[in-house]
Amino acid sequence: MNISPLDIVLLGTVLLLAVGFYGLLITRNLIKLVLVLQILVKAAVMALVLAGKSSGNLGLGQSLAATVIVADTVVAVVALALAVQVRKHAGTLDVTKLSSLRG
Amino acid sequence: MTGILIGLVIGLPWLGALVLWRVSDERPRLQHALAVAFSSAAGFASLALIPFASAETAVRIDAGRYFGELTFVADGLAVSLTAIACVIGALAVIFSMDYMRGEAQLSRYYAFILLFIGAMAGLVLSGNLLFMFFFWEITALCSYALISFYNDDPKAVAGGVKALLITQVGGVGLLAGALTAYSALGSYQVSDLLAKAETLPSNFLALTAFGFLIAAAAKSAQFPFHTWLPDAMEAPTPVSALIHAATMVNAGVYLLARFYPAFAQVPGWTLAVTLVGLVSALIAAFMALAATDLKRALAYSTVSQLGYMVYAIGVGGVLASQFHLLSHAVFKALLFLAAGAVIHASGTRDMRRMGALGKQMPFVRNVFVFGALALMGIPILNGFWSKEMILEAGLSHGPIWALVGMVMVAGMTAFYTLRMTWLVFFGEARESRHAHEAGRAMKVSLGLLGLGAWTTWLLIEPFSALLQHTLPFHGISSLNLSELSHEVFTAPLTYAALIVIALGLGIFWMVRKQAAGRRESRMDVLSRESFGFEWLNRRVASWTVGLGSVLQRTQTGVLSWNAVGILGALLIVLVFLVWSVK
Repeated sequence: MNISPLDIVLLGTVLLLAVGFYGLLITRNLIKLVLVLQILVKAAVMALVLAGKSSGNLGLGQSLAATVIVADTVVAVVALALAVQVRKHAGTLDVTKLSSLRG
Repeated sequence: MTGILIGLVIGLPWLGALVLWRVSDERPRLQHALAVAFSSAAGFASLALIPFASAETAVRIDAGRYFGELTFVADGLAVSLTAIACVIGALAVIFSMDYMRGEAQLSRYYAFILLFIGAMAGLVLSGNLLFMFFFWEITALCSYALISFYNDDPKAVAGGVKALLITQVGGVGLLAGALTAYSALGSYQVSDLLAKAETLPSNFLALTAFGFLIAAAAKSAQFPFHTWLPDAMEAPTPVSALIHAATMVNAGVYLLARFYPAFAQVPGWTLAVTLVGLVSALIAAFMALAATDLKRALAYSTVSQLGYMVYAIGVGGVLASQFHLLSHAVFKALLFLAAGAVIHASGTRDMRRMGALGKQMPFVRNVFVFGALALMGIPILNGFWSKEMILEAGLSHGPIWALVGMVMVAGMTAFYTLRMTWLVFFGEARESRHAHEAGRAMKVSLGLLGLGAWTTWLLIEPFSALLQHTLPFHGISSLNLSELSHEVFTAPLTYAALIVIALGLGIFWMVRKQAAGRRESRMDVLSRESFGFEWLNRRVASWTVGLGSVLQRTQTGVLSWNAVGILGALLIVLVFLVWSVK
């Protein structure tokens, strides 16, 4: 079996995706949720670079990845700030207990 | 020139709607004046459009790759319906000056009425199926807004919602038909569909044909979608006149007439249309026999008369159906507006609480009687000629059992129409009421429409010539007055129909003493439930709500469950991809 570098990157992407989903499924802590979402997004960034390389549009893939990184940083900051506010108002970070908006 | 007139006919009411939307409700006189000015101008523009009728595309606007070209074709079918919508619309607006005097939120009322009139003109003039669909939906929106005009009355709101929902079923049918036609033709142009109907794959053509039939049945309140029209009676009466006579319900008949040449060869289509018309005419006539609410009785009668028009198209009588549409628009607008004057004066819609109002309002009584005679099909008035034309068409091309049903409906029509007239204007006063005569603006509209009920049948020659020369696919042959009267008066069917009508009148005369009975008969209950279709409506509604509340459970808001959903979808996509690569 011949393993190329691209296959290794693909394997890494799938692994990151799996870790992210696993974390999403089991974690209850809001801050940890933000972290695993970050891991998921990193998988997406890797997939973008990979897709750019394998389709010959390396520049496009990289620039899209850079855009995602910038946007995602902002999302992470806002999400963490929200988590702090949730802790202040609700007194807990356990997402299963945060159901007052349920309708 | 044609293009400018088309622009005026659609643009003037819409401009009026925009202007009226901005007029403050503290200036009712200005509101009335503006509404009358804009609608009358549109009415004159629509009349001026008639001499320019031709089968050629009058306006062509490139609307981009996906919509095709936005075209307007002012052919005979389109200009006659535009004239009906704009002129009768203008008369309804004039009538509203008296009827809506002192009501709040007149801006909203007039703006939607003008939007409605403009949308109807656009719908019939449009030569592009997709834009026809857009106008079709605008009329649905306006009908919803106008039926629910008294929006603090839960019954009015429910009626509006019902009308909107049921006509949306028709909208889906129209869109499905239009998209099917597009996928086979590559064009949304109506003329392309008519010209190339035979080249379409037969199942595609059938899908389009039956989609359009559903659209027409829902919009024209035909069986099995007839339940919304009586509930639409919560609207202010000029709106009812507008919906029933001039705009909305005619759109369905127009659709069938427009595409008749393309669909006539589809197996089973004409039979289905005939059946829809026959069943609607029959059950609506039965319901009208028992109705106690004046406006509801008129609404049932509209469903029944629309059944006549649909039946006429089913048996190939496009000219007869359009001519009846014209007659019906005039006399039904007259009846509705006269009923509006009665309701305005007496403060009730219940016919059992009226009686002997004719002495107090002789003018309204006279015009109502004209309208009633036209509806019954008494010779010399316009309803007689067009109804006989439909029956003749049914005799020469349709199945005989359907014809027998339609002749029977003529007798029932005579019965319930006389019952209505008798209960409201004649007999003894069952409650002492102080009714006043109609106001001046009301009299103008009623007088003009009353004149129309006597005279519009004289237009048969220019009307049929117009349709013959501008509709290349329909194969309509023109008819002049002497031919028409010869055809009608030498046919034995006419006399059979007249005998049935006389029978209907005679039967009512014998039972007139019991007509105002206050107890509900079994027929009342049955017809209020629309012979079980109300039940079906409620079932469909509650199933939809039930499905919604089941699906609601999937919206937990818990992130882990959403992640499971995402994973599941990802797996499905992966499996699908692997499958398709193999």
